[in-house]
Amino acid sequence: MKRKLLSMVLAAAMTGTMLAGCGSSGDTSSAPASTQAPAAATEAAEPAAEAATQAAAPAEGDPSQDSGEIYMFIASPEYADAINTLIDQYKSVAPNVTINYETTQNDYPTMLKAKINSGDVPDIFSSTSGKEIDTYMDYSLDLSDQPLMDVIDPGVASAMASPSTGKGMYGIAIKGNYFGLIYNKDILDKAGVEAPRTMDELKAACEKISAAGYKPFTTGFMEWWVYKHIGQHFLDAAAKEAGITAGELVTSIQNGEKKLEDYPIAYNNFFDFIDLAVKYGDDKPLETDLAGEEQAFATGQAAFMLGQGAWVEADVLKIDPNIQIGFQGYPVDDKAEDCQVITGSDQALRINKDSENLQAVLDFINWWYTSDYGQSWFTDVAGVVPPIQSDAKSEFTIIEQGKAEASANGSGELAIVDSTDAYNQVFGEAVQAYIAGTATREETAAALDEQWASIDGPQAQ
Amino acid sequence: MVHSRRKRKEKLENFLFTIPAVILVCMMMYIPFVMSGYYSLTQWNGIAKEPVFIGLKNFADIFTGKSSFLAALWFTIRYTFFFVIVSNVAALALAVVLTKKFRLSNFYRGIFFIPYIMSMTIVGFIWKFIFTSGFKTFYDATGWGFWNLSWLGDPGMAFWSVTLVGIWQSLGFYIVLYIAGLQAVPGDVIEAAYVDGASRRQTFFKVTLPLLGPSMTTCVFMSLTNGLKVFDIILALTKGGPGQSTYSATLAIYNEAFTRNNYGLGSAQAILYFLFVLAVTQITLRGMSRREVDL
Repeated sequence: MKRKLLSMVLAAAMTGTMLAGCGSSGDTSSAPASTQAPAAATEAAEPAAEAATQAAAPAEGDPSQDSGEIYMFIASPEYADAINTLIDQYKSVAPNVTINYETTQNDYPTMLKAKINSGDVPDIFSSTSGKEIDTYMDYSLDLSDQPLMDVIDPGVASAMASPSTGKGMYGIAIKGNYFGLIYNKDILDKAGVEAPRTMDELKAACEKISAAGYKPFTTGFMEWWVYKHIGQHFLDAAAKEAGITAGELVTSIQNGEKKLEDYPIAYNNFFDFIDLAVKYGDDKPLETDLAGEEQAFATGQAAFMLGQGAWVEADVLKIDPNIQIGFQGYPVDDKAEDCQVITGSDQALRINKDSENLQAVLDFINWWYTSDYGQSWFTDVAGVVPPIQSDAKSEFTIIEQGKAEASANGSGELAIVDSTDAYNQVFGEAVQAYIAGTATREETAAALDEQWASIDGPQAQ
Repeated sequence: MVHSRRKRKEKLENFLFTIPAVILVCMMMYIPFVMSGYYSLTQWNGIAKEPVFIGLKNFADIFTGKSSFLAALWFTIRYTFFFVIVSNVAALALAVVLTKKFRLSNFYRGIFFIPYIMSMTIVGFIWKFIFTSGFKTFYDATGWGFWNLSWLGDPGMAFWSVTLVGIWQSLGFYIVLYIAGLQAVPGDVIEAAYVDGASRRQTFFKVTLPLLGPSMTTCVFMSLTNGLKVFDIILALTKGGPGQSTYSATLAIYNEAFTRNNYGLGSAQAILYFLFVLAVTQITLRGMSRREVDL
């Protein structure tokens, strides 16, 4: 009898511990520094939270009246420290609100889907902007009537609208961004060339730079996302030539009405540019990843760095703090005015519209965008391009030059968000195959037309 | 009477002890498996609240070549073929050497086993570094063109790089299994063969090798399943690139379901792949165990 009892107890204990083990294994990515209140306190706060939400709901939010928990599960682990600082600061504004912040180094979309499918939709979650705005529409709140609308950067706001209807504001951004051609001023000076703004100037510059003993390009062609960052400049110019927006151009191919070959700049010029980059680029182009590219550029071996933007500057400066960085748009055709930087935000923070604690969440993000601390947080703490209209100076050259370029020559549309990353990855892989020589230009273009329609086309939605 | 009550009690106890495992296996394996069976008949992006039922269209899409799954399957077959053959032959050869009594033999066993302890992802990143930076340094030092090949950047080479790293990583495990098998071969049988005038080579191929049957079955079976399941090493080394030249079946399924948001199509591919693996492993296992001999 005793033995039987013991075995039953053991069996129960085993089940218990193993299940408990499973439960916690999902949270392994929880940031250690997250502001987690003791469980007991949170539970006690919950009934109060509901009452508070109902009471506060009609009024303009007053964060100090809010209470309860906000579950924030977002990508961008590089800003974990900065966001924890922001959350600590919010504690003094809204002492009764606990923000459970969680991030993950990789595989964010997969983990988010797992959470959504298990019914545990985070109050604040990430997606890319543009096309993915519609993908998560079922869960996302329209923020168009929120106070933060007054301060948000128009370029960022337009990336948050639903691409199918062109209306609404289904997210906010942690940062704006600048995309363009990064170059080493010293190498250009030594080779005696100006920063090229047309294709012909670029070809001439490449010859001079390699004659001066430097490698003109470092390309990062091992990474699939490098291609979309380059490609969007050509899409913008192609759209301008056709008299439409880049979004309309992409949609016309996705719908199967047009082909890539119908837009010569996006087709001929883009592939010419890739050929040029391979010819004058890294010895093993498909083996150079982001780290290899940063290394080649920062150690002064290569003059131009392709497919990158404001985010690489900090890494480059770590290798060589004295490097003279220049930043501008890509030379895409024979018109210098088409050489534009691109600005906007490719990441979106979405608000769960069925959140149990919606008012507290809204108060938090409004505070983030409109309060003095929140506004200075973007430049001073996170060190990013502010997604709000602001005059704050940045210590990063790329951001300052990007700003100057954008006001002098205008800035292009953020065309990467007109397609999903699912397509953008296929795009990168197809161009890799072209570089490897396993597909011709025509084959690549035909494959892209087909994939663009099947992944992002109307029937795929 | 007492006897049968006791037996019943024992049966009950056994049943109780298996419950935790059964619950877990059901939760983690069988229920998701049945669910993905259902999802394979739907069009679903993994996010929308309701999947749309579309019958067998996903399966039709796979076979009409609308997805690149068949290419990935072919890659996996080639990878598995080389992985099974090379890792078993090399492991057996090394095991034979390492069972000889010489100084440091235990040390060498340890050396060969260490890569197996490391996580596949870490091995992948280490080798990525070796292929890109390490080989470059060798090239600068020696000037041999061999080091300057684009090991990960050329579609043809990338296949061999991935296979090489896969074999290198798991070799130690098969060596250990073969060493155990070799040590279990009774010495008197081998001695008898010598006495009968068999040469060393004959002894090995006619006596030792047949007696290694069970080890070989285990090793071939394990390397076969591990080869078919290859995923993390590719993700860390090439991410399927350049182009799509190193997509394995598992990576293709993962990409279809989670990157391209075709949960339904991904599930259909997973089901097909499951049937394929089941068939391949069963046939191999049957064939192998039939050839085993007993003393």
